[in-house]
Amino acid sequence: MKRPVRLCLFAIILLSPHGVRAEALGDPEEIVARANRAAYYAGVDGRSEARMVISDSQGRQQVRQFTVLRRTVSEPGYPVSAGGGDQEFLVVFSRPSDVRGTVYLVEKHVRGDDDRWLYLPGLDLVKRISAGDKRTSFVGSHYFYEDVSGRLPSADRHELVDTTEQHYVLRHVPLEPNSVEFAEYTTWIDRETFLPMRIEYRNNAGEAYRRVDAQAVETIQGHPTVTRTLVSDLAGGGATEMRFRNIGYDLGIPEEVFSERSLRAPPRQWLE
Amino acid sequence: MSRRRSGGRLLALSVVLLAAAAGAESGEGLDDDWGDDWNGGSEALVWTGFLELAGGVRVDGAEPTRATLAELRGRAETEWAADRWTASLKADAFRDEALNATELELRELAVQFPLGSALDVKVGRQVLTWGTGDLLFLNDLFPKDFESFFAGRDDEYLKAPSTAVRVTAYTDLVNIDLVWTPEFAPDTYLDGERFSFWNPAAGAIEVLDPPLSVARPEGLDSGEVALRLFRRVRSTELALYAYHGYFKQPTAVNRRGRATFAPMQSAGLSVRRPFGAGILSAEGSWYESRDDGNGDDPNVPNSQGRWLLGYERELIPNLTGAVQYYGEHLHNRAALRAELPDPSRAPDRWRSLLTLRLSYRALRDNLTLGLFTFYSPSDDDYHLRPTASYRFSDAWQLSGGANLFGGSRSHTQFGQLEDNNNVYLRLRHYY
Repeated sequence: MKRPVRLCLFAIILLSPHGVRAEALGDPEEIVARANRAAYYAGVDGRSEARMVISDSQGRQQVRQFTVLRRTVSEPGYPVSAGGGDQEFLVVFSRPSDVRGTVYLVEKHVRGDDDRWLYLPGLDLVKRISAGDKRTSFVGSHYFYEDVSGRLPSADRHELVDTTEQHYVLRHVPLEPNSVEFAEYTTWIDRETFLPMRIEYRNNAGEAYRRVDAQAVETIQGHPTVTRTLVSDLAGGGATEMRFRNIGYDLGIPEEVFSERSLRAPPRQWLE
Repeated sequence: MSRRRSGGRLLALSVVLLAAAAGAESGEGLDDDWGDDWNGGSEALVWTGFLELAGGVRVDGAEPTRATLAELRGRAETEWAADRWTASLKADAFRDEALNATELELRELAVQFPLGSALDVKVGRQVLTWGTGDLLFLNDLFPKDFESFFAGRDDEYLKAPSTAVRVTAYTDLVNIDLVWTPEFAPDTYLDGERFSFWNPAAGAIEVLDPPLSVARPEGLDSGEVALRLFRRVRSTELALYAYHGYFKQPTAVNRRGRATFAPMQSAGLSVRRPFGAGILSAEGSWYESRDDGNGDDPNVPNSQGRWLLGYERELIPNLTGAVQYYGEHLHNRAALRAELPDPSRAPDRWRSLLTLRLSYRALRDNLTLGLFTFYSPSDDDYHLRPTASYRFSDAWQLSGGANLFGGSRSHTQFGQLEDNNNVYLRLRHYY
């Protein structure tokens, strides 16, 4: 469940007093729900600058740099404080120069398909992206589009396989195996912060071919937040490292920022 | 001979420039350099752009030119922001050996600012696009550059810039886009310099020499106004369009016998929404030929209806397929046909077009393979566009492709271009 756009890390989860470990949870659904909240629903909204360094199997590097704004939509029956509701994401690219000015807008729906748009400034074109192609490379990196906005917990069946001193270890099996490239994945979720610290994807032969590691965590405005993450292609070689900086939560980003208007006129006051 | 010599000079110059550019980009550290693009704010201008060397040749024949593309192009772009104002510049300078010309093209020189909380204004030179078609345009009557499109320049150049004022109002009920282009901005049409096409006067495919000379609308009334009302209802995007201006191609003949642009106004609508695992779009438009009320003037294009239905979806991971059906319906073909000198070459009452797009991305999007085909069942002609592009790094990109035309008759849209089949290669260095 660990995702690249880790604006959110952990919000409203009440942890036990510092240093004292809570009694271990036993319900995988609850662990996954808390991990989802920790990774994607910190604060009502958030912003972060992100920088990816993409390395191929021969060590050649490319860079992508962007700012992400995120907002959780409050709706009846899904209060923001509960986490897990619909969300909006605005991703504005600044580097390299051929993707500069490109904007990616996502409306993530918990029930139903996401709505997604890509703005290509050279053509002044607002391109709509179909819901299908989610598990393909996000702007040339080893991350997937689905990693940006998060995979729905309801898309998989979850099983708690181990509880260690540090982690809950869960195994996840997709409900629709044909819609994804993996047969199953395993997550190591921090027992204290509920941040997924490692995710390992396995193919039908049971081999791990893709791994995501949280490499640095900082507490920002009370929210433990992953600030460096690495996704590794274990089969083909190559990896993408993503770092975050200038992270902020509960900024009061208005709803209108997540609209077609921001594609042509990026909302500078929220991006800077 | 002189053309060949200058081609050699161009090549030498290109090598020098590309080498210089490659040197300039080295030394960039990847570890801690965030570029400070957003933080630099108003003081430091960030300049980006590219240098590109492009070559394309006619597959057979050498008329009007052997080379369909032979150019060295430099792009510089920057943006300056203060408060809520943004000034932007995007300029191309290029040496075009195919036409032996050196040109400066301002693709953008504009100021963008909000007026109050609900209005955005953008004034100046800018590229404008709307509508739902993929390489087909119904309600998008902003200028296109078909010469670039057929010669294998980057897709970006199919959209030519306009010098215009765009005002967009955002309201709860509907958003309103109003674009005023004070001076008519036609398509960059084929004029015979680079491509040969059907000459109705000669009744044959010809190289026009001298090139087509066209009379442009003049005077206070020569501008264009385009309007779009748009809103979204859940996942469905709805839009209404209106336009007052001219046909964008010089398809009319004025009293002095010169090609010109007939006055036109249009109204249309579009819908776009997810359907199944893909995106479904539909668009319609009515073009009213303002000087051709009865449809019986052979020197003025007929009024026509245009329809489009499109669907795009991922077929397998990284392979996307898209199909479009496009129909064009002449308002009064019988009247037109009766007045034509050669009625057998009258356009069909219904013209239909099917397009197919396949695009495949591999190696984490570093390799892109594409095929776009136009096929008209009514005209029995086609245009095939295979493309391949490889990204070596953030700085270097190599693209190649072909434009293949054909048809059973020589006067149809793509059939007339059958002597212009070309292949091209472009090497681009971003800085």
